[in-house]
Amino acid sequence: MSEMIKQPARETEVAREQEPQERRRSALRPAVDIYERDHALHLVADLPGVTADALTIEVNDNVLTLEGEIRLAMPEGATALYAELRGQRFLRRFTLSHEIDGEAIEARLRDGVLHLRLPKKESHRPRRIGVQAA
Amino acid sequence: MFADLKRLDSGLLQELGGLRQWLDEVMSDPAAADIRAVPRGSFPMINLARTDDAVRVYVFAPGLAADALEISIQDNLLTLRGERPAAPGDDERVEFRRERFGGAFSRTIALPDGLDGERAEARYRDGVFEVVLPKREELKPRRISVQAA
Repeated sequence: MSEMIKQPARETEVAREQEPQERRRSALRPAVDIYERDHALHLVADLPGVTADALTIEVNDNVLTLEGEIRLAMPEGATALYAELRGQRFLRRFTLSHEIDGEAIEARLRDGVLHLRLPKKESHRPRRIGVQAA
Repeated sequence: MFADLKRLDSGLLQELGGLRQWLDEVMSDPAAADIRAVPRGSFPMINLARTDDAVRVYVFAPGLAADALEISIQDNLLTLRGERPAAPGDDERVEFRRERFGGAFSRTIALPDGLDGERAEARYRDGVFEVVLPKREELKPRRISVQAA
């Protein structure tokens, strides 16, 4: 079963540059919800079949990369009859704005749904400016 | 394994999935589509695989509780019903993107003939339901030994 697209979970940026076109193309784009709440951005991504150890979350040069390998326990000798989900891994990248504190990102994965909390840096939180009566 | 099916598609069309869906809707397709076929990206996505003794259905339903999917089989039709709660829209939340499916769904898919619905089993893990439908005994492949003359 598709041994050819197996790769070490972690790879350097150089290796990523050199990955074959075919592999790049085979990645699926997960559906996401993004919203802001309580001084943080929240990203919710559908990653069915991805376990915590098959998921890589990286922030590099303000680019957030989510990459997860779909691990289905399938018996040997199984053949595909029909597939709507065609591929072995999810990949999606986002550019973060500077107010996000890359060090403080929290991640939670449950039942194939990833929830990322990306807090804003303290200095970028809105401040209420009081108006004094003259 | 399911990645291999991709070779059946033209690479370009694969890239332009959205465009193809639009084309499917706008232009009549000379090849007949399955009557229960759904547009790409419907929730939940379904894959089917076959082994010598069973057909396995993979239902990609992330975020569903294990008991939130109703699976029923009649003849060779598998019906999946359930609901994934939509993200709550509240005043404190500023929305930027909402791509994930939310709400009730019902999907029916035709399975190959000769499966034993009575002995079906289902499991749920990491957002994927796996339904195993064993083939009826008489339809399993048999090895026929050749006797020496």
